[in-house]
Amino acid sequence: MKQISKILTLSAVALALGACSTGLDRSRSLLNPNVSGHTLAQQVCSICHGNIGDAVNGNSVNPTFPILAGQQPDYIVAELQEFHDHHRKDPAAQDMMWGITRDMTPKQMKELAEYFSHQKPLPNPEAAEADPAMVKAGEKIFNEGFLEKAVPPCMACHGSGAEGNGPIPRLAGQHADYLYKQLVAFNDDAQRAEEDEKHHVNSNGDDLERPQGVAMEGIAHGLSDMQKHEVALYLQSLK
Amino acid sequence: MKLTSLLERARVALLAFLGVVSLAVSMDASAIPVFARQTGFRCVACHVGGEYPQLTSLGRMFKLTGYTLGNANDIFNLTTNADRPPVAVMLQTAKQFYASTNPAAGNGTAPSSSFDLQVVSLFTGGHITDNLGAFVQWTWNKYDGNITSGSQYTQSSGIDNSELRWADRIVTKDSDLIYGVYANNRSTMSDVWNTTENWTSDWIGYFNAGGAQAPTTFLMGAAAQHGEVGTGAYLFKDKTWYAELGVYKSITHGPLSFMTGGATGSGGVPELDPSPYYRFAYNKEWGPHSLEVGIHGMTSYVHNYGPGLTYSDWSGSVSTYRDVGVDAQYQYVLDPHYFSAHFRYTHEDMNNVLGVPNSSGLTPTNPTDTLNEIWADMTYIYRAKYGAMLFYHGATGSNDLGMYGYTTNGSPNWQSWMPSLFWAPVQNVRIGYMYTFYTQMGGTSGPMLNAGGLSAHDFNTSMLYATLIY
Repeated sequence: MKQISKILTLSAVALALGACSTGLDRSRSLLNPNVSGHTLAQQVCSICHGNIGDAVNGNSVNPTFPILAGQQPDYIVAELQEFHDHHRKDPAAQDMMWGITRDMTPKQMKELAEYFSHQKPLPNPEAAEADPAMVKAGEKIFNEGFLEKAVPPCMACHGSGAEGNGPIPRLAGQHADYLYKQLVAFNDDAQRAEEDEKHHVNSNGDDLERPQGVAMEGIAHGLSDMQKHEVALYLQSLK
Repeated sequence: MKLTSLLERARVALLAFLGVVSLAVSMDASAIPVFARQTGFRCVACHVGGEYPQLTSLGRMFKLTGYTLGNANDIFNLTTNADRPPVAVMLQTAKQFYASTNPAAGNGTAPSSSFDLQVVSLFTGGHITDNLGAFVQWTWNKYDGNITSGSQYTQSSGIDNSELRWADRIVTKDSDLIYGVYANNRSTMSDVWNTTENWTSDWIGYFNAGGAQAPTTFLMGAAAQHGEVGTGAYLFKDKTWYAELGVYKSITHGPLSFMTGGATGSGGVPELDPSPYYRFAYNKEWGPHSLEVGIHGMTSYVHNYGPGLTYSDWSGSVSTYRDVGVDAQYQYVLDPHYFSAHFRYTHEDMNNVLGVPNSSGLTPTNPTDTLNEIWADMTYIYRAKYGAMLFYHGATGSNDLGMYGYTTNGSPNWQSWMPSLFWAPVQNVRIGYMYTFYTQMGGTSGPMLNAGGLSAHDFNTSMLYATLIY
């Protein structure tokens, strides 16, 4: 009898608390397809991709997380799909984004892309700490490329202000640490692809961290470690 | 014991140890505990360098929003995803080494000859509804120092850290407000900055020696024994300002008594009248850095064990412990480097009832006493695989011969250092070694007359361990 009353009381408490729901527009559920992209941006994405004081503006604080404000919507949708399909495999993608996109619907992806592409990118506060000589060297690579190793100018595809275009991402103001890690990932992929070719293996890109970034492989491979840092620091300084 | 039999035991223990490790290494690395299954995150997303229990900014937000984020069905849906069962298990195998071979010297609760599975924890919880979530832990200890049965090697099982949390988050263009309420079974269970005893990273050192000679404040020690139930409310504004108020009370019956199940009913767990707990903090995050500074405190009204009284007697006199402290955390989180440092200083004013033992079984000689407890730690982790930690823990306070009788002046003063190294070959497994050096006890680094002439260093303990969480 005592047990029954205990169970009844607990059930009543749980029901009462469960009934105190704040509804779909404040849900953190990644399983419910009815949660809008706008709500996900507020309740979930903003935790890592937001700013202090203005959590939903897409300007992340920690460089682990890329800035999404002003990003090209086509690129955001493409990357969310890549995370969802486990094609993009860089460590941070596996650590977090595979989970975030596990049950994400195409509609939610589109709404998120729409939302973040309309946010205003802010000047990156980390830019002030960069070595001006390295930023200048990065600027040269960005504008002129590094022809010695057949690296074309970045601006040729990413735009003169690194604003991106469709599936080609905006890079201006992005965290240098994030950009550098992506260049390293492309570089590693170039080496993996080379190995595959040497051994006549057709991996279909399954062993690559960023198979969609095949255009970047040769470029990243042509840049030295120092040059990768330089170009990343220059891009971070752009507003 | 014959050498051959000793070798045989060592061989069996080593095989068991390697078995646990190889089993873990061969497992799918994405198959991990409750919250990871719910969110699809790896440990390193919410824990600094994957070093649970230390929370990253994301981990703090996950907890403060009520463990609700993720891909779990509402309980009212009455369906669960078989791929993501909300249960997990943690196993800990260990071997302790004591500086003194004399058990009377106060060796840890595990016998020095053991090299075996010593702790099993089961977890459940996570998302219940969009606003309601839980963290529930149950633990079996092969060797439990909390039970006084005349035997040193008594096992125990019971509820461990457990919490039910309801939270809401309102985000607008220029405001971010989280508010919520919780019910849990340990003051400081609600901590998200890992500065309190409940959530510091020395959790693995369950079987340390020297406990009785190393007094701590009531808030960080006795109050943290899952023998109480508390409810509280909190808010976190703009990831900057945190405020929390709670009240705790011992409960032995009624619907909430499941939260103390197995933790009460025997000695060692104090009876608490309603006692207020509070915490205020300032939090700042910039680049890969984050900083927290704050204050914490609790005023605990605790029943004494009078002559002839047992735990379930809700009578007897009440001692008061007023704890007030400051705490701070710094973190650097950017792969491949992870660093964190924590500090807390807690001052305690005791109002003792004279002539009867207090809840720890000690009989004070002074009507009032003070104790100042200090904790500091640093952690560095490389690539979420290789870690080094250093802890400092100690206290100073007023002399009281009745409570701290192991020296002739009754000093509570003690100091310890704990270096630790670990390796996480995969995120589910941690293999480590930690050493606790006591540099002062009873206010002296030399022999303590009333403790059989033992010195602080006789209580030194080291431990080799492997932890598997799945």
